[in-house]
Amino acid sequence: MPDSDNDSGGPSNAGGELSSPREQDRFLPIANVSRIMKKALPANAKISKDAKETVQECVSEFISFITGEASDKCQREKRKTINGDDLLWAMTTLGFEDYVEPLKHYLHKFREIEGERAAASAGASGSQQQQQQGELPRGAANAAGYAGYGAPGSGGMMMMMMGQPMYGGSQPQQQPPPPQPPQQQQQHQQHHMAIGGRGGFGQQGGGGGSSSSSGLGRQDRA
Amino acid sequence: MEPSSQPQPMMGVGSQPYPAAAPYVPVPGSLAVPPGSQPAAAFPNPTQLSAQHQMVYQQAQQFHQQLQQQQEQQLREFWTTQMDEIKQANDFKIHTLPLARIKKIMKADEDVRMISAEAPVVFAKACEVFILELTLRSWMHTEENKRRTLQKNDIAAAITRTDIYDFLVDIIPRDEMKEEGLGHNPIVGLPPAMGAPADHGSHPYYYVPAQQVQGAGMMYGGQQGHPVTYMWQTPQGQAAEPPEEEQQQSA
Repeated sequence: MPDSDNDSGGPSNAGGELSSPREQDRFLPIANVSRIMKKALPANAKISKDAKETVQECVSEFISFITGEASDKCQREKRKTINGDDLLWAMTTLGFEDYVEPLKHYLHKFREIEGERAAASAGASGSQQQQQQGELPRGAANAAGYAGYGAPGSGGMMMMMMGQPMYGGSQPQQQPPPPQPPQQQQQHQQHHMAIGGRGGFGQQGGGGGSSSSSGLGRQDRA
Repeated sequence: MEPSSQPQPMMGVGSQPYPAAAPYVPVPGSLAVPPGSQPAAAFPNPTQLSAQHQMVYQQAQQFHQQLQQQQEQQLREFWTTQMDEIKQANDFKIHTLPLARIKKIMKADEDVRMISAEAPVVFAKACEVFILELTLRSWMHTEENKRRTLQKNDIAAAITRTDIYDFLVDIIPRDEMKEEGLGHNPIVGLPPAMGAPADHGSHPYYYVPAQQVQGAGMMYGGQQGHPVTYMWQTPQGQAAEPPEEEQQQSA
């Protein structure tokens, strides 16, 4: 696909806001967003810069919108971890029914592949546990609680890869002192859940750290 | 990271059906038929319109129905393509969007505590579909205005026309929505901070009534009265009361 994209020349009213390094963390990279936008357009179409930036904002709003609904549901059900099924439920509730069917297939395949990786990396689970405990002291307790499931190798890699640049050395916020055993997450009967889906537990410790943004205020959501 | 999916085969609507609408001859008997794609209360009684207005009105109806059918067809093809692509997906290490950034955005909400590893993966795909659909709907507005550059006001138009995008209205300045509603853009009224102004002035003469009709429909019943939204979003009853009451996104 030819790269015929260019600026429309119009002034960008969000330029100052988006140029801030911290503000950039609130959006997905504009290059990725732009690339996806082009897939929906004819080859000779052009996209103005302010259109790309607007879609950047819309996507972040979409993530926060769905996440907020899923988080509310988890709190009502006294669960702490948002999983894929919670997101699909939230999308249905908020009117994005068309998204759910394709994403169900996507999630199902992901869990299948994760299951295969978990089986393949059974021999390396010991070293993975060691690395987890070494890098995430506070998460070690959670990891120990899930030893029975055997954290998948790729999951561990993903956790370390994601944890280092974002949460290395940062104290986890809103982390309850005594770690509780994970509750049953088989409450959704939308489709069959592969065994590999449980592998996600092993990575919950990696999500202990969190970064807060003062720009988004939804603490009093009903 | 390069996207592993194939490019979307899109039906290119190179030209609007203006020539087909122009030679349309009004049939006197059609006065008794109420407009099927518009809520009756949003328009005056057809029998009260003069002959000339009736002709223009019918032309607008004809054009609007054809446009609506084309756009619905595009959306059906869009969803078929999405399902096919997902069935072919087999490598979950390659994502079109970075998982760490998605997780960070999720964590911006202080109520969010722990996130399973599959959640950002689901969002990576969901956001891709969201961007594709929003861009496709925005491009429909670009084509309606005979342009080849997608602009911010096209996105504003897509947001105002689509019910499930209600949560995005705070992102679009009010002037952008007003612009869409009026159907034309008086440049003197635009604040200098806005993005590229639209070139609505290039509308063909007989397209103006369609815009006015469209705007009237929206002003009357809000976005729910819009034919495209109404036809496509039949299950929107489930989202009758979106819980998002305040979403202020400020620096």
